[in-house]
Amino acid sequence: MTRVAAPCPGRVLPLTEVPDPVFSSAMVGPGIALDPAPEETTVGAPVTGKVIKVHPHAFVIQGEDGVGILVHLGINTVRLEGEGFEVLAQQGDQVTQGDPMVRWTPGNISGEGISTIIPVVALDQPADSVTPTDASEVSPGDALFDVAG
Amino acid sequence: MADRAEQILAGLGGSDNIIEIEPCITRLRTEVEDASQVNEAALKAAGAHGVMISGNVVQVVVGPEADTIAEDIEDLR
Repeated sequence: MTRVAAPCPGRVLPLTEVPDPVFSSAMVGPGIALDPAPEETTVGAPVTGKVIKVHPHAFVIQGEDGVGILVHLGINTVRLEGEGFEVLAQQGDQVTQGDPMVRWTPGNISGEGISTIIPVVALDQPADSVTPTDASEVSPGDALFDVAG
Repeated sequence: MADRAEQILAGLGGSDNIIEIEPCITRLRTEVEDASQVNEAALKAAGAHGVMISGNVVQVVVGPEADTIAEDIEDLR
């Protein structure tokens, strides 16, 4: 089992509330979304493992048991071309849960079709493999969901 | 991996049909000349989790190896 920790503070939402069909239909995998607080925040690694991908607006960490965890900072934020994001980790890095990954200020992010909701997804896992937290608000490091396997 | 890029390129209607291809972390965002040449079944057979077509923009959901696939497709074009 992999315990996935909250990468930043926020309100917990089901993936179905993410305004993007790829995430809301769990096309890339099951998970949970966070509606982040507007203040500047350093988004941390949700699991201990290896950084597989890092873009300004999204990153993937492969946990020690092989499950890839995707953290996608906002929806359609790829259009910002990195503006407003400070990347603090590199592809290939070995990271520990909580290590700084990306710094941003959700309250400063805006634009047509852009949302700051953060899907946190267990990539390519079965839909029923994720057990979400009961909490409605989380702080960094709090359990967000468990992935079976 | 290159085979997969070839299959996806074919599913998108071939090199001539592609105006622009841009990888996002989970998907390829492609602008095509003619969306009717896009073969959704072929894209899914090539391993796409999903295909979303809106006007002449085709999003192919391929997972986190999207940028590698996009590079392979550019090499083929």
